[in-house]
Amino acid sequence: MVAGGRDRTYNGGMSVLLTLAITKTAARLSRVLGRGGGQALPGLMAERLDPHLARKLAAGLPHGVIVVTGTNGKTTTTKLIAAALEAGGERVLTNSTGSNLKRGVTSALIAAADGRGRLGDYTIGLFEVDEASLRQVAPELLPEHIVVLNLFRDQLDRYGELDTTAALIGQGIAATKARLYLNADDPLVASLAKYAAAPELVNYFGVEGLPVAGKTAHQTATDSDRCPVCRTRLVFSRVFYGHIGHYRCPKGHFARPQPSVAITSVEEAGLGGARFTVAVSGKRSEVKFPLPGTYNLYNALAAMSLAHGLGLEQAKVARTLERTEAAFGRVEQVEIEGRTLCLLLIKNPAGFAQVLDTFLIGRKDLKVLFAINDLDADGRDVSWLWDVPLEALETSGPTVLATGVRATDMAVRLHYAGMEARVVEEFEAALAELLQATPQGETAYILPTYTAMLAIRKLLARKAKMQEVWK
Amino acid sequence: MKKLVIAHLYPREMNIYGDLGNVITLKKRLEWRGYGVEVRPVEIGEPFDFGEVDLVFGGGGQDSGQLIMGEDLISRGNDLRQMAFDGVPMLVICGTYQLFGRGFTTLEGQEIPGIDVFRASTIGGRTRMIGNVVIDSPFGELVGFENHSGQTILEPGQAALGEVRKGHGNNPKSRQEGAVSENAIGTYLHGPVLPKNPGLADHLLLAAVRRRWQVTELEPLDDRRELAAARVAAGRPR
Repeated sequence: MVAGGRDRTYNGGMSVLLTLAITKTAARLSRVLGRGGGQALPGLMAERLDPHLARKLAAGLPHGVIVVTGTNGKTTTTKLIAAALEAGGERVLTNSTGSNLKRGVTSALIAAADGRGRLGDYTIGLFEVDEASLRQVAPELLPEHIVVLNLFRDQLDRYGELDTTAALIGQGIAATKARLYLNADDPLVASLAKYAAAPELVNYFGVEGLPVAGKTAHQTATDSDRCPVCRTRLVFSRVFYGHIGHYRCPKGHFARPQPSVAITSVEEAGLGGARFTVAVSGKRSEVKFPLPGTYNLYNALAAMSLAHGLGLEQAKVARTLERTEAAFGRVEQVEIEGRTLCLLLIKNPAGFAQVLDTFLIGRKDLKVLFAINDLDADGRDVSWLWDVPLEALETSGPTVLATGVRATDMAVRLHYAGMEARVVEEFEAALAELLQATPQGETAYILPTYTAMLAIRKLLARKAKMQEVWK
Repeated sequence: MKKLVIAHLYPREMNIYGDLGNVITLKKRLEWRGYGVEVRPVEIGEPFDFGEVDLVFGGGGQDSGQLIMGEDLISRGNDLRQMAFDGVPMLVICGTYQLFGRGFTTLEGQEIPGIDVFRASTIGGRTRMIGNVVIDSPFGELVGFENHSGQTILEPGQAALGEVRKGHGNNPKSRQEGAVSENAIGTYLHGPVLPKNPGLADHLLLAAVRRRWQVTELEPLDDRRELAAARVAAGRPR
């Protein structure tokens, strides 16, 4: 069980019960009216009626709150941690199906609470939180544990710049006395240690060695390769992807911290996942992890690091990881008309490059559909497509389709990378063409941005006439 | 083979919002016409000979990147100013555009001096100007995406790149976007700007090959994809 409980006394007042009654009714109405499941609405209303509702409700969680933030991997890592906690006997309250802004977290708490504000048998809260929202969520929920995965350029039209994002996360951390679990291999994330309430609260996870660096490792625009102290360019002895690797400031101000939870070697890695050795405070064990790609190794590490901090049994956590399935829209597969369609969410250059590295580079006769939207949840600026090293793709005989609002932008990007894409603006027609171009028994890849993923997932579920294929 | 040299200013510090796509575009549009291209990075503190350079590019960056490169840029100011005066084509975007003017005064009052290629000054603003932009320019309608809080004010006599039809441009009031001096062009447009505005790309390239080899025209390319993407972009909400 998790150590370190918190005060269980529930400080319910008339305003909490009233707010709950109103917001719960609103959620029901919204569902009845078919307005998108009512996921964010209750939280949004609660922010007006009682801005501290989340804090009051979360006080009813005996083992407190864990928060996961960072650019890429939040949803997957949250899923891994939830499985490990549940295996350890916890009842986990998450916002896994909703929004990761403050209102989404509040909505998840409202949905879980009964009319008197009690959270039933939930023992612990586990929330993925948007990088820019941590400073609103952290002072409210006062999490005991904060995991920071990585910081990449993402939807910059919303967040400003990467240094700004790091500072926002820092403000969130500084509002708590949380234990931190930081990616040692990401310089900007490692530099967040300075915001910890005390140095002994900081834990690091990282990768000591990989058999081969990704093919795009040196081709992606680096996001943060400067010393956070003196701004001198960091020297990298290893680069695993993007700016993730082993680094030090040449003037000696800053260096990769020694991780206490580390992947020491990767024995096997492929589309079916990886077999690796992990050392937790020196104690080694082997894990067969079914999610492919270097980026997922870091998600597993983050989960193991947190599990270690919570005192969970290492062997049990490893077994849980081995039974992992992909999170919503991240490496999902579906069989349709004898073809395998592989759905791979793309959100930013680093994630896109990792998807290329893991699934597409080196394949001849590729069948791939890029689905590019530019709505708020995708990022309205599609400039980032030019930061993706698409030149690394094999250009012999691929079937390349582009769909979505900004399909034409993707077609231009591909043209300048040496590939011709057919633009089919409607998702349904594009899917039909993809299936037609893919022989029976073969695999085609769909790379959608967030809102394109939601739309395509819906179409595929209908096409497959068996929604249960989606986990 | 005729080979053109492009100087890429501070590619590691100033590479935000896909601005690297402009270099890819210049390179490809030359290669498709049978020219060779060499892109030479200008790095902070390292010697660089601008003598063989045919075209200069500099992109946008984070505030921190701009601070880091600003001082180094000053040390190359005389070279770049002379080249701009001589008609060497240049494209500088956002953070680099700001420092190709008189300089940038931040909200906190910090002054980052510029190199005076453009008679334009930039001051920090409280609101960020974010969104799709459409402007009318001598190179036709240009589309892009802006994302800046700096407000640039052109001095009397300094030509703008164009008139704003959608979006903000240099600042919220003037309805002007960018600056042009000889063949040096400064702009806030990301997108990146060149792939969807092939006319602007070819203007820069033609100026470069004309200076180097007295070539007077570029072989036309099939720009249907680029123009289709520009049409879609121009129709997106601000």
